[in-house]
Amino acid sequence: MPDSIVSVEAARGRVEGVAKRQFRWAFQPPMNLEKLALLVQRVSGLGLLVYLFFHIFVTGTITSGPAAWDGLMGMLLNPLAHVGELLVVVGATFHGINGVRVLLLELTALVGHPIRPDYPYRVQSLGKGERSILYTAMIMAGLALIAGIVILWGL
Amino acid sequence: MRESTLQLVNYVMVLALLVTLALHLAMQAFLGVSGYEGALSYSTALARYREPLSASLLAILLVAATYHGLFGLRNILLEMRSGPRWDRFVTGTVLGLAVVMLGWGLRTIVVAFGGA
Repeated sequence: MPDSIVSVEAARGRVEGVAKRQFRWAFQPPMNLEKLALLVQRVSGLGLLVYLFFHIFVTGTITSGPAAWDGLMGMLLNPLAHVGELLVVVGATFHGINGVRVLLLELTALVGHPIRPDYPYRVQSLGKGERSILYTAMIMAGLALIAGIVILWGL
Repeated sequence: MRESTLQLVNYVMVLALLVTLALHLAMQAFLGVSGYEGALSYSTALARYREPLSASLLAILLVAATYHGLFGLRNILLEMRSGPRWDRFVTGTVLGLAVVMLGWGLRTIVVAFGGA
């Protein structure tokens, strides 16, 4: 994009900060299941990216020998780190399955046929197929939580 | 690169990620390991890097996760603001992170595979 093109924000004069705008977008009504799913998808995605960044450097100590590796793993074997890992597994499970729903939506699958808009207007954005994938994502995330607790705490 | 090409590559990475991440988590949790602490032992972890198949799995996972994660971050950042300066900043940030993450991750895989 050439420099002469002015951004929309600059042309309008920004009225509120980025953080405030994001917050308003996330929590302003109307709130529905699809918007909530998008919000969780974004938050979990960002969380997983932060985890991935540190995970790459933590696992990088494998090349420094057993002492460095064991020292670091010893530090990470505590309840607080376990809670973090649990969040990663639950977040990844929801993000993955909900991501499949979004992928199918983008490929125009599960959208359904358009219907005549008769009163009372019903929201068509989440069809039966989509809704069932979203519920599957929630159930699987719940199961991942249970499995994670069993594996991490050795129950 | 065209946005549609980036998105197509993202779809491929997503599919690779679904398979490799599921395998990666299963290998850490219950495939061929005895307990979570056993999965984190130096010998078990090193064996994963030494075995060609699981080392390839790690490499694919690294590339797919880094691409998908940074592509998502780029989308979020580009939705927040617009303009050529912001575009350049986002592209620079994302490419910088990609170089650091892929560089360090692939270095680990190559060095550990070759014999740490």
